[in-house]
Amino acid sequence: MAEWVKIGSSGEVADGEVNNYSVGERQISVANVDGDLHAFDDLCTHQQCSLAEGDLDGAIIECPCHGSRFDITTGGAITGPAADPVDVFEVREQDGELQVLMDE
Amino acid sequence: MPDFVIVGGGLAGATAAGTLRDRGFDGRIVLIGAETMAPYERPPLSKEYLRGESDHRFVRPDGWYEENSVDARFGVRAERLNAAERVVELEGGERVPFDQALIATGSRNRRFPWPGLDLPGVYDLRFAPDADAIRGAAEGAGKAVLVGMGFIGAEVAASLRMLGLEVTVVEFTGTPLERVLGPELGRSIEALHRDHGVEMVFHDAAERFEGKGRFEALVTRGGKRVEGDFAVVGVGVEPATDVAVQDVPVDDGIPVDARLRTGVEGVWAVGDVARHDHPVFGPIRVEHFDNAMKMGETAARNMLGADEVFDDAHWFWSDQYETQIQMSGFATDWDDTVIRGSVQDRSFAAFLLKDGRLVSTFGMNWKFDVRRSMPLIAAAAHPDREQLADPGFDLRQLHEGVTR
Repeated sequence: MAEWVKIGSSGEVADGEVNNYSVGERQISVANVDGDLHAFDDLCTHQQCSLAEGDLDGAIIECPCHGSRFDITTGGAITGPAADPVDVFEVREQDGELQVLMDE
Repeated sequence: MPDFVIVGGGLAGATAAGTLRDRGFDGRIVLIGAETMAPYERPPLSKEYLRGESDHRFVRPDGWYEENSVDARFGVRAERLNAAERVVELEGGERVPFDQALIATGSRNRRFPWPGLDLPGVYDLRFAPDADAIRGAAEGAGKAVLVGMGFIGAEVAASLRMLGLEVTVVEFTGTPLERVLGPELGRSIEALHRDHGVEMVFHDAAERFEGKGRFEALVTRGGKRVEGDFAVVGVGVEPATDVAVQDVPVDDGIPVDARLRTGVEGVWAVGDVARHDHPVFGPIRVEHFDNAMKMGETAARNMLGADEVFDDAHWFWSDQYETQIQMSGFATDWDDTVIRGSVQDRSFAAFLLKDGRLVSTFGMNWKFDVRRSMPLIAAAAHPDREQLADPGFDLRQLHEGVTR
């Protein structure tokens, strides 16, 4: 069962910014790209560095440790050293809340 | 369907094989690697793997080669690339024909004819079994002696200190990493290691290794005798050019043009072994991970007809203790250094300029700016010193208008 989980407040992720949230055991990042929100697993699949600490260029986030780049709309690794994608999640703003859709 | 042969089972070769398949190439790929293990990442060998904190990280997961019909020959040495007959000759006599070939044989550790270098307990570090041997030697040991304080020496020193060993390093130049960083930035690395208890002897070199059946002490040219339980030598590498291309003279590596071509039709070279005619830096040979990976990707695309110039600005990292070091660009000399942040607090970027042109950026525990410098370096930009020094100034504002 998937469930919408509140992680923050509406409007708190500014355009061009990435925020990082703890959701249960996971670290999830939410990025605002030209007004669209994208949520993805914060840990780089190469060596588990926090992607939220990296540079966001459009919908591409670059790992600050070793330069892997991910398309945050799909989670796909565009350039290595990471080969595996990061998980992506549905995200929305509703009733003043920032919510992500999490599997139970 | 064309036959591609990749000679060299390291990061560059395996990345090229991966890119070829990712791009839909469905001809034959033969990947020849002298090591018995599938291609793996070497950077952890001096860091988390050496400390026993991580297992190997493979370039492509186990099983990928078979699943993708890559004819992987691991543990097999290539002896010659016969350009006239367009075959790669393997040890044992097998001849592998090719339409296109990629040479990615990497580099090998430099060895000097020091007496005692072959004593048990004297190690160098390049391959996974070397790291296993050093880790084994470190268990229960009290003191290590290192020769050379480039990246391998500095990272091994940090790892062994983190494991609780006493460490003494003998280095020929005046600071760690002096050849890459120059003395000024080298001193920031020296201070880091001094604060972590590494004993460093500069302007001195190995004379001989002594011991009765096993390493006991290093005797230096300066007459010091440094005792320890084992020694690790890290004094640089040389390109592994045994599989040279017929009729292409080797000159500090295999010369390739900006598009990674050797001059023999359909024969390419990448990674540590390639001396690349870089559009900004001129002919250079680079021995870093990121370069091997990106060159492997570019060569693969070019083998499929992309005709791309490799103009990457170059970038590498080094983790020592809790400190992250990064550098972009390529510089052998510079006449101006602009600091952003605080050298004393070990949180800064250093922009290296030559005649006002940004040639390289070094960072210590400093986010973003090393990589944000790359488009500026690749465009041979002349950024404003005050903007460089101002942590509030976002270098990306300068990206617009540069050609990359």
